[in-house]
Amino acid sequence: MATTTLEPRAGTYRQSWVLDWLTTVDHKKIGILYILNSFLFFFAAGILALLIRAELAVPGLQFTDYDTYNQAFTMHGTIMIFLFIVPVLAGFGNYIVPLQLGAPDMAFPRINALSFWLLPLGGGLIFSGYLFGGAAAEGWTMYTPLSNAPYARNVGTDLWIIGLTLVGTASILGAVNFIATIFKMRAPGMTLFRMPIFVWTILVTATLILLATPVLTAGLIALFIDRNYGGSFFDPSVGGNPILWQHIFWFFGHPEVYIVILPAMGVVSEVLPVFSRKPLFGYKAFVFATIAIGLLSFSVWAHHMFTTGAVFLPFFAFMTTLIAIPTGVKMFNWLGTLWRGKLMLTTPMLFALGFLSMFLIGGISGVMLGQPPFDFHVQDTYFVVAHLHYVFFGGSVFGVFAATYYWFPKMTGRRLNEPLGKIHFWIHFIGFNLAFFPMHQLGLDGMPRRIADYDPNAGWTLLNFVSTIGAFMIAVSIIPFLINVVATFINGERVGDDPWEANTLEWATSSPPPPHNFDRLPPIHSERPLFFLTHGHGHPAERPEDLVEEELVDEKPGDIEERPEDLV
Amino acid sequence: MQSTAPRSRLRTILRVGAPLLLVAVLAGCLLPPEPRTEAGRSVFNLYLLLLGLAAVVFVGVEGFILYAIFRYRRKPGDDVLPEQHHGNNLIEVIWTAIPSVIVLVLFVFSMLSLAEVEARVEGDEGVSIQVEGFQWSWRFIYEDEGVAITGTAAEPPEMVVPVGEPVVLTLTALDVNHAFYVPDFLIKRDLIDFGEHREDNELRFTVTEAGTYAGQCAEFCGTAHADMTFTVRALERAEYDAHLAAIAEGEEPPEPVTGECAETIEISADNLSFDIDEFEVPAETEFCIEFENRENLPHNVSIYTAAGEDLFIGEFLNQAGNITYLVPALPAGEHTFVCDAHPNMVGDVIVTSD
Amino acid sequence: MSAQSMPARPAEQPHPKVPHQQGMPTALVGMLLFIASEVMFFGGLFATYFNARAAVPAGTWEPPPGGHLDLPLAAVLTVILVASSFTMQFGVWAIRRGDTGKLKLWTGITLALGVLFLIGQLYDYSMLGFGIADGPFGTTFYTLTGFHGAHVFGGAVGLAIILARAMRGQFSARNHVAVEAVSMYWHFVDVVWIAVFTTIYFLR
Repeated sequence: MATTTLEPRAGTYRQSWVLDWLTTVDHKKIGILYILNSFLFFFAAGILALLIRAELAVPGLQFTDYDTYNQAFTMHGTIMIFLFIVPVLAGFGNYIVPLQLGAPDMAFPRINALSFWLLPLGGGLIFSGYLFGGAAAEGWTMYTPLSNAPYARNVGTDLWIIGLTLVGTASILGAVNFIATIFKMRAPGMTLFRMPIFVWTILVTATLILLATPVLTAGLIALFIDRNYGGSFFDPSVGGNPILWQHIFWFFGHPEVYIVILPAMGVVSEVLPVFSRKPLFGYKAFVFATIAIGLLSFSVWAHHMFTTGAVFLPFFAFMTTLIAIPTGVKMFNWLGTLWRGKLMLTTPMLFALGFLSMFLIGGISGVMLGQPPFDFHVQDTYFVVAHLHYVFFGGSVFGVFAATYYWFPKMTGRRLNEPLGKIHFWIHFIGFNLAFFPMHQLGLDGMPRRIADYDPNAGWTLLNFVSTIGAFMIAVSIIPFLINVVATFINGERVGDDPWEANTLEWATSSPPPPHNFDRLPPIHSERPLFFLTHGHGHPAERPEDLVEEELVDEKPGDIEERPEDLV
Repeated sequence: MQSTAPRSRLRTILRVGAPLLLVAVLAGCLLPPEPRTEAGRSVFNLYLLLLGLAAVVFVGVEGFILYAIFRYRRKPGDDVLPEQHHGNNLIEVIWTAIPSVIVLVLFVFSMLSLAEVEARVEGDEGVSIQVEGFQWSWRFIYEDEGVAITGTAAEPPEMVVPVGEPVVLTLTALDVNHAFYVPDFLIKRDLIDFGEHREDNELRFTVTEAGTYAGQCAEFCGTAHADMTFTVRALERAEYDAHLAAIAEGEEPPEPVTGECAETIEISADNLSFDIDEFEVPAETEFCIEFENRENLPHNVSIYTAAGEDLFIGEFLNQAGNITYLVPALPAGEHTFVCDAHPNMVGDVIVTSD
Repeated sequence: MSAQSMPARPAEQPHPKVPHQQGMPTALVGMLLFIASEVMFFGGLFATYFNARAAVPAGTWEPPPGGHLDLPLAAVLTVILVASSFTMQFGVWAIRRGDTGKLKLWTGITLALGVLFLIGQLYDYSMLGFGIADGPFGTTFYTLTGFHGAHVFGGAVGLAIILARAMRGQFSARNHVAVEAVSMYWHFVDVVWIAVFTTIYFLR
């Protein structure tokens, strides 16, 4: 009898890759979408930064008028915070957290997709102000009464409010997803205290997002009502309270800055141990410090309002000073990780070390700002601009680049070129310090922020000029980075599952992972399950208590009973 | 693979150190301006404490990072794992406790400084000025003297205050939020219209040195926020009164003394006589007289026109000592300088026009 | 996950433990977290209400001239909404027993009560004599009650979906997590109303 071989008809099951990526609910693809989208916004907001620095290099208005400049710094801040740094870290979280937990996907894959797609929509709305007479121009902090009718009747600000509400909603849904995933979808054997630190930081971050962002949403709605429906929330002429906006905004705003920094700290806590070839020093202390920072972050908001004359200074100064303690504990634990390690200065490690150095400076200036008498002098000056860039940029963005170089091989199966990476790092590092360190002195000298131009006789010109050079250096440093990414993607050095000899579960599967993430999981007895696998059970240096007596059952994700309605 | 050869280590040090050094140098030593208010001195001292702590922490931590990079660099080909320290509870306690103590001590000093900054002087408040901020300039209202000084973005206003006396400003926002900021005073305060919720903010300070100080709005207030500048001129009480009186009567207030000596004349007094009997200065230009009294008798230097009108009255030195007089611009002509206590201590002042 | 990913296992290996999902179902965890974020949202709105109220002299926080509050009507609306929480819970208990018929009945009644609440709320708005632009009281009143009403509407949509799915026989005693989730949300909406009602009508 003749046999017939069945073959699928060509094209029967294939989907165009465009449609695939547009409709995907796979956390890995969604993670990559988050990262790509975020970097696009990074470049847009970066160009705005270059415009700002070009304008400030020397006195006089050379490139902008006042209104254009005010839109530029408003949009720069808004886009960088809401459409770059938070989403890019969420993107890495999206890709990596299920892998690190040994899970097949996030808890709610379709909500995951929704969370992503709200971002280009919200960001587009925010930017669309430029098409309708001008983008929002009242500062990313949108203080009332300036942002209220009748002072800011621009549609751009309304679009900003609506766009940001969508972005906030996306964040909140993402937070629900992360927390549910972390609590419900860990592989067997992974107790909470065996989770990677990156997962812990995402957990605390998601909790902050869950509890703080809705307060911003309430404020945004209230502002929209005031602006468009004659509301009396913030307008003093009709019984409102302008400083209520500041309280609402900063009650969200301060947890927001920890939302920005904690995942980056998580990345650093992954990278340092791998490239020191030792475990993170003080894992539990780290977890408790992270939780403490999360809790305390809700109690310090009014340190942004010391000069308003309307807040109880001692309480907020005290809580602000307190939050320095767990932050310091983390710094010491990172140093303890380096101590007596065998450091490998790869590009991700350089960025992680850069994070330590730069975040240290940002943290120090933060403690200074937390003392009201000193804050009276430097609030709303370039000292604050210096501080925020040292923590946001020197901290979080360095963490993002560390994550990029570290996890690029896992996501693409190819390792980024090391020499190009080092060039990127050094130009970036030097440019960053040139751009932002002088701002400390400018602030001490009294240069206020958010001014398009300044007095030529004030003595601020030289430092502004140096700062502009640094800013353009940062822009230049992106060139080797982009070349690296494109060239590596096309024809870079291929790697296997675990090119870095790392510790956590994402390295226990192929690079990139299959759609279901894992074919088999290693047994999980510690926070470094892969280390165990690589270096053998009963490694003399591992703690005996990590070796829990339990059946070494080869659990596969498919074994866990899942009900259809759980896959929302 | 980078080698750890001495040359590449040197390159690394230079690459790291040189830009940092350049930046530090350019940064101008990380100090605020010399404070010109009493409260500002307290802030400055608090900052010195903060800077000291910062330097210690920075050098310690950064130093360890650099040390670790060099000392613990993995040698190529070394595949032996280092000792896998997981942590140490005692160390955790120590490096939580010590920073806790340090920051709490810092907090105490901060609160002490805050008390000084916010202190109110009991009794007569010295001078009370109402400050109105609006888009995009200021109005300074002296109710008792019936004077209001209103500025524009193009012509910023000048606030006069008496040196050495407490000043209390009432800060009223007429539209959006603004902030009154004088860097040389090391203080600022927001102008916010709280409506029914709260009284207007007050700001108190006592200026310690005569001079003219630049100020600027420090709360983003819209399009021309960058233009919303002002100056504060601190004068001796007599001059302050005269200045306000002049404005009240619609006269031109005296020319501002910029505090810069285009020229310095040195005069000393001894044995009831000056050491020079004439000096020459250009017209319409401020200049300085460095006056040294070499005996324990009261002397000063004053300048009168030939007709006897006073052009400048200098402060008395009742004992031996030095003082620098800032003499305002003089009209061209021949005048006399004299000690007001000893009329035969006299000389010529020749003021030349170009 | 499908069976294709399981490689063949040698016959002598013991059958591995297959853990049942422990604790609260994931979907309910998600709903609980979402409700937590909604609590914070309403917290923000309540903050604006209390801040506005604190600015006026004691005893003068009231609707603007020409306006009034209708306490009896609000009390009736409260009874309606509280009753609807009971009926919702009866429906949950029913499906836990596997009684699909009672589930549909109680869900339908709950939905009807919810819609009645919304109609009553809109009627109340039309009779009050003040609007959102009438000073701090008007603004905070309409914002708080309005966003609560919006959440009731969202809950009603959820109830409608549950009802439709129940009518298609999609729920059983073992498989009804969506009903549990919607009921949690509905109870939350009720609790928020009690807070709103107490605050606006009794904390004067």
